[in-house]
This record gives sequence, C-alpha cells and structure tokens, in this order.
Amino acid sequence: MAQNELLPRGATADQSDAFTGSVAAAGRKRTPRARRPALTIAAMIVLGIMLIAAAVGHWIAPYDPALQNVGLGPTGPSAAHWLGTDDLGRDVLSRLLEGAHTALIAPVLIAVGTTVLGTTLGLLAGYRQGWLDTMLMRLTDLMFALPGLLVLIVVVGVAGGGYAISVITLIILGAPSDIRMVRSVTMSQRELAYVDAARTLGIPARRIMFRHVLPNLAPTVVANLLLSFVFALVALAGLSFLGIGLPAGTPDWGLMIQENRGILDINPWAAIAPALLITITACAATLLGDSIYERLDAGKGFSE
Amino acid sequence: MTDLLRVRGLSVSLEERRIVDDVDLDIDAGETVGLVGESGSGKSLLARAVAGLLPPSLTTTGSVTMSGTELVDASERLLRTVRGRRVGLLMQDPFTMLNPLKTVGAHITESLPRGLRRRRGEIEKRLAEVGISDPRVASRYPFQLSGGMRQRVAIAAVLAGDPELLIADEPTTALDATIQAEIMQLLRSVQKARGMAVLLITHDLRVAFAICDKVQVMYAGRVLETGLSEDVARNPRHPYTAGLIGALPVLERRISQLVAIPGSVPRAADVTHKCAFADRCPQRRPDCVETRPPLRIVADLHATACLYDVAPAETAPPGDAVEHAQETPALGKPLLTVAELRKDYGQVRALDAVTLTVQPGERVGLIGESGSGKTTLARCVLGLASPDGGRIMLDGLDITYPHRLSASGKRQMRSLVQCVFQDPSTSLNPSMTVGAALAEAAGRVQRAERRSVDELLDLVGLPKKYALLRPNRLSGGEKQRVAIARALAVNPALLICDEPTASLDVSVQAHILELLRTISANAGTALLFVTHDLAVVRQITDRVVVLLHGKVVETGATAAILDEPTHSYTRRLVASVPPAPVTFREERANA
Repeated sequence: MAQNELLPRGATADQSDAFTGSVAAAGRKRTPRARRPALTIAAMIVLGIMLIAAAVGHWIAPYDPALQNVGLGPTGPSAAHWLGTDDLGRDVLSRLLEGAHTALIAPVLIAVGTTVLGTTLGLLAGYRQGWLDTMLMRLTDLMFALPGLLVLIVVVGVAGGGYAISVITLIILGAPSDIRMVRSVTMSQRELAYVDAARTLGIPARRIMFRHVLPNLAPTVVANLLLSFVFALVALAGLSFLGIGLPAGTPDWGLMIQENRGILDINPWAAIAPALLITITACAATLLGDSIYERLDAGKGFSE
Repeated sequence: MTDLLRVRGLSVSLEERRIVDDVDLDIDAGETVGLVGESGSGKSLLARAVAGLLPPSLTTTGSVTMSGTELVDASERLLRTVRGRRVGLLMQDPFTMLNPLKTVGAHITESLPRGLRRRRGEIEKRLAEVGISDPRVASRYPFQLSGGMRQRVAIAAVLAGDPELLIADEPTTALDATIQAEIMQLLRSVQKARGMAVLLITHDLRVAFAICDKVQVMYAGRVLETGLSEDVARNPRHPYTAGLIGALPVLERRISQLVAIPGSVPRAADVTHKCAFADRCPQRRPDCVETRPPLRIVADLHATACLYDVAPAETAPPGDAVEHAQETPALGKPLLTVAELRKDYGQVRALDAVTLTVQPGERVGLIGESGSGKTTLARCVLGLASPDGGRIMLDGLDITYPHRLSASGKRQMRSLVQCVFQDPSTSLNPSMTVGAALAEAAGRVQRAERRSVDELLDLVGLPKKYALLRPNRLSGGEKQRVAIARALAVNPALLICDEPTASLDVSVQAHILELLRTISANAGTALLFVTHDLAVVRQITDRVVVLLHGKVVETGATAAILDEPTHSYTRRLVASVPPAPVTFREERANA
C-alpha cells in the first residue's frame, strides 16, 4: 500500500483512472456533462441574442440612434425611453442596439483572423520544428515581452485611428498565444503513431498537417477562437473608451461608457448598460468556449 | 486452513451499469490465487474493491471480509488500518508507482510499522529480501533505477507493511521478458518465505498457471471458472478457458492454425441475464441465453459457469506445422539489405553495425528487449529515422536517406515497405473514418492497381459497414485489422510489424497472427516482425535476428534458435518464457 500512502487522499481517484480504464474514463466524462447544460445553455442564449441584435439591431431600434433631442437632454428610464437618454437626448436603448453591430463584428473578424494565423503558424512550427520553429518561438517571445495594450494605443494613435488598423493590430497581438498553444498540442499529436503511419504511406507533409493533425486539434482551436473573441471585444471597448478607435458620436459600447460617464448621477444606465453588455458577452463566450472544448476533447479521446 | 479473504456476491456498478457482477473469491492464508482475464473482465476493479480503493463514483454491493472484518462501506479510518498493514497493493507500472521526489529508503520507511522505522539496518534487510544487496540503493531516487530495480523497490515498499495479503496487479506487464521472469520468481520466493497470501492479477494464463495454486477466470465482470491451476490447465471445464488456452501461441513448436475466439468481450451490463460467453461460444445451446448459468462444482475445488461439459474441438487437435528447418536459400537478390547500420541518440548508440537481409516473401523475426534498438531499426527502414552510418537497400533502391530520393524513388519506396504499428489506438487517426483512412492509403497507388475500401476490409475480414465508423467505435483487434488493411493498401513487398499484438488480448492476438500469416502466404509479402514475445516469433517467422544493445548477437532459423540457443542472452530469453499448459486432451492425443 505504499502507493496509497505516498499520495494525498484525493489523489487515489485520479490515479485509479489508469488502472480502471474505461470505467474511470466514463466517470470523468460524466462529471462535466452533468454540470454543463444550465451554464452552457445560458451562454448560448446570451450570445444568440447578441448576434440577433448585431444583425437586425438597426431595424428594431425604437429611435434613430443619432437623433438628438437637446431640449430633452439626459433623462432616466421612462416609458418612452426604456433606458433613458444621454447628454444630447439620444435614446440609449437604440444606441445599444445599433452598437451591437460594431461591438461584435470587429471581434469576430479579429478572432477568426487570429485563429487562422495562429493555428497555421503553430501547426507549422510544431510539425516542422527546426529553424522555422526556433524563429517563430523567438518572435512570440518578443511579442509576449511587449505590453500589448500600449502597443495597440500607440499604433492606432499614430495611424490616426480607424477600424482596419485596430483590427489588424489586434490580430497580430493575439496570434502569439495561439501559436504557442497550437504548437504544443501539435507536438504531442506528432508523437502519435498515426502521423508515422501517414508518413510511411508517403502522404505529403502539408496534407498530414491540415487533414490528419488539424482535425485532432479542434478542441484547442475552438477554445482559442472564443478566447480571442473575448480578448478583442474587451480590447476594442478599451480603445473606444480611450477615444482612439472610432470617431466621437458613433454608437459604440466602449465609446458610450466614456461619453456617458458624466451623467452617471442623472441616468446611470447610459454608462452601466453598455458596460454590462460587454461583461456579459465576454463571460458567455468564455463559458461556451470551455464547454465546447470539454465536449470535443471527450469525444476525441485516444484512450477509448 | 482458514479463509483470509472472503468475497461474497461482490458487484461494482457505475450508476446503473454493472461492471463487476456477483463475484465470489476465497483466499486462504499463504495461498497464491491468480485472477485471469482479458481487458474489460473487471479483474482490476475487483482487486481495487478488495483494497477499498475504488473511485467514489462507483457503487459496491456484496461483502468483502479480511479475517472477519467487513470492508465494503467501511470507514476510511478502518480501511487505513487494513491497507498496507494487512493488504498490500502492487501496481502494474513501477514508473508511476514510486514518487520521483522520494528516495528508495523513504519509500520503505514510510510503510514500515512504527516500531521498526528507526531500527538500524532495517531498510538494508528489506532491500536484501527483494534481492537488492547494495545498501546504497536506499539513497537513490526512483528515476536513477532501471525498470526491474524499480519494481523490486516497489515490492520492498509494499512488503514493508508486512501484509498478510499481497495484491499484485499485472506486476510485470511493463517489464522486459527476462526481468518479468525474475520478478515473478521473486514474488514466488517472497511468498513462500513469508507464508503470505498473494492475489495475482494477470492476463497471461501461462504466468498464472506457473505461479498460482488456484486460478479464477474472469470474463465480462463475472467468474466463469475456478479451480486448482493444475486442474484448470489440464482440463478446462469452460469453453472460454479452453479457448484461451487454445489461442496461446506456444514457444516449443509451431501450430498449423492458431484458434482464436471470435468476437470480443461484451460489457458486463449487457449480459447480466445470460451466459456472458454465449455469443462467442462454439457450443452454445438455446438454454445458455435463457438464464445465467450458476457456478457448478464439477470436481473437487473445481467449478465452472457452463451448463455443459466442454465439447472436444470440432477439428482434430491442431497439429504442428512444418517449419522450414533451414534458412531459405538466398538464391535471388535479397529484398531488404541492411548493412553496417549505425544510429546514435546523443551519447547512446542505438544501433551498432547492424547487418541483416530479408528475402522476398521471407518472414523474419527481430527479437530484443526495450533498448535493444529493434524499433530504431524498423524506423530507419521506414524512413522515419535517419541513420548515422551504413546502408539500407530495398529491392535495389538505396533508401538510407529517403529525403534524398527523387519523387519517383520516394513513391517506389512507399509502395515497397509499409508498417503495422504497436498500438492501434494511436496508429489510426481518431478523427478519420475507417473508410477515409483506407481510401487515402489506397489512393497512393496507380489507378489500375488500386483496391477499393470494400476489398481492403474484406481482406482483413471486416464487414463493409465498418467503413463508416470512426476508430473509437472499434475494439482493439478490429482497429489493428484496419491498420493492417491500410498497410496492405499499397500492396507492399515488405511489411514491418512493430509488436502488432503487444497491446491486444490473447484471444484477439491469435486472430491477428493468423491474419498476418495468411496474408504473407497468399500475397508473398515479406514480414519483418519486431517483437519481444518468443512464442509469437515461433508461430510466425522462418528466421530470427536477436538484437542486444544495438548489436546482432545471434541469427538463424527460428526453430533452431529457439530450440538450441547458443548466445547466453538468447538462452536467458528462452528460459524466461513460462511453459505453455498442456491440456489433458493434448496429452492423450500425443500418447
């Protein structure tokens, strides 16, 4: 019983996995699945609503988001304006709905861009190894050493703001962590015999990478995609808040927090609502990423 | 004699699913009992239930008593007094069983009874008991020891608590053949010296019969047969046991046809109300699936869960095949020539001037233990590793450095040599269906010679519908057949088999060996069969090459080498194989 005494009490269950094989594997899969639904479904509903708002927000907004009513000025929530109005008397709800478009489209673009770039380079580095790997790794080291948000502010500021510049900068800033992650899982897949079997058949390296290894990285890639989305969402809101992303007056969540800070005492919802939306969207995307990872990973198990 | 351990009606379930189903087990003081079964038989779970070490997600019913103390649902405090002191558990893998941060001495001290912990010389005494005479070992860390030494230390640590019952769960599976034999001998001598009871869990019938007083055969979570080793070995009373014995490859001679058990082990939960073996049984009758056959006593201490007597096999007892006594005369050009091959990994010389040839259609065994360089050699021939010297010629093509070959040369090489890897669960891509994997492989050859997925599946005896499945839906044996089909898709002249049956159960192993034998005979495919299992080598190869520390130490006709090994290492290797059981029926047939 030396074994048992060497390990803390809690360790016995894990350690038994190796010996009880499929049973423990089944047990392991079951736990997350039982815990998952409520949170996952909530996350999916939240993201679904956000996507609908991004798609049709412009048409279902009760007012023109740019319509000023300076005479009305800032007011609290009322029957006419559910979330009140801002400084210039613009309807907050309409501006939020209109803003969903800018708030979500750019992060989606960035997430896709980061994932494509990071996965491709990570796969190459992990599979090919050698000089390419060394070069990419030193490059990511360098990127990790840079203060990301600061670089973003400087680059976007120098380039005079603009959507495209922010998106491209964020893709480049987000890629290193994806490269690292994909590289490490690629390296562990590369050790498996199915890669050797494919090489023995003379299948070209490109095909092995993208048709054999890549599908087995799905859990990591999807989790990365959603994490990049969150990173971009928050970073872009931060940029807007600092006033460097978009021109003033654009209905954008980040910008709204900044613009409406001044009227917190009159209509707090004008600043709190966009902040809440950013937080909720970020949380939902993170949770969904987690649950997709677990589900895909459980189905992929080599141990089964 | 008194019962030390008494298990009655023990069942283990995961939620509603039975995994171990109504098992009885008795072990008397000083007795060695073997629990034999294939993967999925529930034997390891049973052992863990006895030690009170099941994961909390499993529910246990029934009764386990150690000299009268009930252990099922016992408090953790009670279990702690039982574990270590009264029941010791020895695990399969000595690499994960010892804590890498603690010295050997610390491992032993920890399990010693309190009064002995400070006594001088106690650790040395304990190490000496397991055959470690060098007291300096006590201050070493596990990673500084070899696999065999680690398992000795693990045994010393388990014995430090002076248990009355030692549970050994596949204690030698992770070790090399010669070390396996040493560890088994050690367990046997320690057991005798201490008068301790041992519960040996193993998938290897030969080991169980050689070491245990009693064996209990488990299948799909239940006991199918129990009896004295000698009785079970000579006269198996359950068709499953008889089938397992029949499927064992034999070291002493070549059997013309290895008889495998068709199908695979069902899940215990699916067969609760019938005979678990009925679906694979050659002598099934209607009432086998109506109720669950109880264990019935057939002789003194011998019980079987079969309603009927085991029918003699329909065919005559498998006779011995003619072995090519002489090496195939090297008339034609050899298919594969490896000359003076050298490969270094850092300071370690993995291959040292290895020279061997394989004739077209010849079946050559490459024997050696881990670290002997046999896998490195296979990888060099496959072009997966780059040698540091020497030459590899394949059908007149220099493939020493395959990346220097022209495109057509590469293509030619790929259609000449293919490989079946050891573990089919990693050699098949889990995200590709069987059909896609086979189609991709078949697509590597010219359209005119291309074989369809159906043809390939048919070749390895799998139904066509398997093309749509992903590997995780297949059993180990089925996966290996798919892997073989994939390798055959390009119709290679040389098939390298890297321990293709090492991760499979005995009943499935026979299938795969028979399949490889047939394919090689029908298509004239040469085999380079890499393995450490001499009995397998005997069944499948004409000639063997024995590797030790990267050097060829002996080569010659399989029969000659296994019957009369000349090199001391080969002799040790042959001696380490436990004798195959000779059944009563065979004895009579031979008389």
